[in-house]
Amino acid sequence: MNVIYADNNATTPIAPEVVEAIRPFLTTEYFNPSSMYEPARRTADALAQARAEVARHFGLADPSAIIFTGCATESTNAAIFGVVRANPNRRHVITTAVEHPAVLGVCKELEREGCEVTFLGVDRDGNLDVGEFIRTLRSDTLLVTVMHANNETGVIFPIEQLARLTKETDPAIIFHTDATQSVGKIPIDLRGELQNVDMLSFSGHKLHAPKGVGALYVKRGTRCRPFLIGGHQEEGRRAGTENVPYIVGLAKALQLAAEGFLDENTRVLGLRDRLEKAIGERIPHIEINGRGAPRLPNTLNVSCHGVEGESLLTQMDAYGICASSGSACTSGSLEPSHVLRAMNIPDAAVQGSVRFSFSRYNTDADVDRIIEAFPEMVANVRRLSPYWDQAKNAPRLG
Amino acid sequence: MAWEYSEKTKQLFMDAVHGKPGTHLGEIENPDGFGEHGSLACGDAIRFTFRVRRHPTDPTQDVITEARYLTFGCTSAIAASEALCTLIEQGGRTPIEALKITNQDIVNYLEGLPRQKIHCSVMGAEALEAAVFNWAQKRGVDLQSLGVDLHTDERAEGRIVCKCFSLSEPYILRKIRELNLHTIPEITNAIKAGGACMTCHHVPGGLQDLLDKTWGTGKPQLKVLSQLPILNDVSAKPVDEEQPSLSTYQFGKKIEKAVDQYVRPMLRKDGGDVEIVDIKGTLVYCRLVGACQGCAHAGQTLRILVEQTLKEMVDERVRVIGV
Repeated sequence: MNVIYADNNATTPIAPEVVEAIRPFLTTEYFNPSSMYEPARRTADALAQARAEVARHFGLADPSAIIFTGCATESTNAAIFGVVRANPNRRHVITTAVEHPAVLGVCKELEREGCEVTFLGVDRDGNLDVGEFIRTLRSDTLLVTVMHANNETGVIFPIEQLARLTKETDPAIIFHTDATQSVGKIPIDLRGELQNVDMLSFSGHKLHAPKGVGALYVKRGTRCRPFLIGGHQEEGRRAGTENVPYIVGLAKALQLAAEGFLDENTRVLGLRDRLEKAIGERIPHIEINGRGAPRLPNTLNVSCHGVEGESLLTQMDAYGICASSGSACTSGSLEPSHVLRAMNIPDAAVQGSVRFSFSRYNTDADVDRIIEAFPEMVANVRRLSPYWDQAKNAPRLG
Repeated sequence: MAWEYSEKTKQLFMDAVHGKPGTHLGEIENPDGFGEHGSLACGDAIRFTFRVRRHPTDPTQDVITEARYLTFGCTSAIAASEALCTLIEQGGRTPIEALKITNQDIVNYLEGLPRQKIHCSVMGAEALEAAVFNWAQKRGVDLQSLGVDLHTDERAEGRIVCKCFSLSEPYILRKIRELNLHTIPEITNAIKAGGACMTCHHVPGGLQDLLDKTWGTGKPQLKVLSQLPILNDVSAKPVDEEQPSLSTYQFGKKIEKAVDQYVRPMLRKDGGDVEIVDIKGTLVYCRLVGACQGCAHAGQTLRILVEQTLKEMVDERVRVIGV
């Protein structure tokens, strides 16, 4: 059975071109780029070239603004803890209630360490209130950390506007964005419209590079203490021998992503929109989460009233469709999606949420098969549900 | 790091190591100029000596005839020392003329240095300077009267910023300007400051502060929020005596009134309007609406029409931020 992989916001298949780019560094080119001898220069060169390539992807002239890390979570930890440690004079941090746990968890940790954190809420569509954002900026605000695009709903926050307002209010406030879901999907220009962003985190495995590599952009002059200490690598800002193979892979993946932006914004968007429309037509009582906000082209988050998402995933799995859900049963923490709950979506609908996320490797046939199978799966579990009124074919409130 | 040494650098190093004729390894006995820079603890050090042909009457006309070095350090430190001696012996320079040799001249002679190794060339230039100062002392030449900066303030009680390499604030500030250093890695590459324990990077008074002090923060100098004259943030400490007598409420009312009286009528003529989103200190956050929204001149409208009006009618410190 062919697997239909529609869970690209969780991770992505590695591009064959990336595998080829990495291969020499897994075999003959194993040298430590910090070593003195001639062969090591080749790995050092590859590292430098990869850094320049990554910088170029973001419109940056200075490659040293890019620090390679082990994953996006390391990047966000390094950024947030690093800034807080380097700037003891300010203790207020602003973030949102819908961040990925890699930011949310760190911010909660900061509260334990004596910082004050403001968690901005969102409306039913997942949008932030810019007026509220302005009101929360204070004279002791140190850091604003707001994600670029949401992993669950694909909702894109107006980072350009928020970063500009932050800097115009107080240039000493540092602006960090977790761009893990947007890098590779939409163009990001850190010298153009996002020039007010001081720090940006992302990882490779969301854009067809392997797991185990990430990066952190740090604008020149941003006060930040290193997170991993113990070596001169990355100019002392991230100790540890560089993961040359995967860094090379990350650079290659970004290059491919830039070539594919058009595809992502037309063909992939077309796949998503077609699925969204078909589901809307064929399944009663559903909600598209984040529909009223700007969204990533690849993400569809749909809530099916009256059912529990995990039961849908199990059926899809048996049919070879990979997707994910915001339901409590799938979260590992027995708590339903904090993102959907922050959007004030009723619990019943949160539990019945399913996320499809596509990539450039998805085809029309994939979408056809989902359209063919998914409505019946929803109907199947609705028939079993105590929260579904069979007679009226409508949700029954619990 | 496998260093990208130029062929010239590698050649000079090999020649020096093998004591090829024409190289300058050694120490002149009873030299006319003696200068040292670096230390064992710093990882590289040079002892630089030169001899002059003494002018019978005017010591400032002494001409350097011979230069020698003893260097403890890496390939490029030794090559840079060679380069220094060769440059000095060229063209019959006086010691004062020799002071014009910069670390960049050494880099050029070496046909480039990896950026992390720039400090080797700086070390050479520093040792030369020390040797010339030594010569001046011995020969009774008053360099200061000849317009040479002796950096006496650095020898006085300069606060040590980089403890690992014992580098003082005045010294680092001078080098930041002289060598046009803009980032911490550039400082470390050039003079090693911050290259070992890295503690001095971002502490108050550390390298980043010295960079900001020299170059500014790279952005137009907007006042940080805590320096603004009025604050609606009750938790903030009272600000300077500039504080206007208006309360936050009164200030807001005044802004509102000025917008109603002077700004709105003009915008409405064109089918537009403005909404005050928030007021924070003297920052007024505005959103243009109606026909003004998305207008190509929105930025100008805010700055010229709204901000200027509020500056004139309410308080000259008002700054308008477009939302």
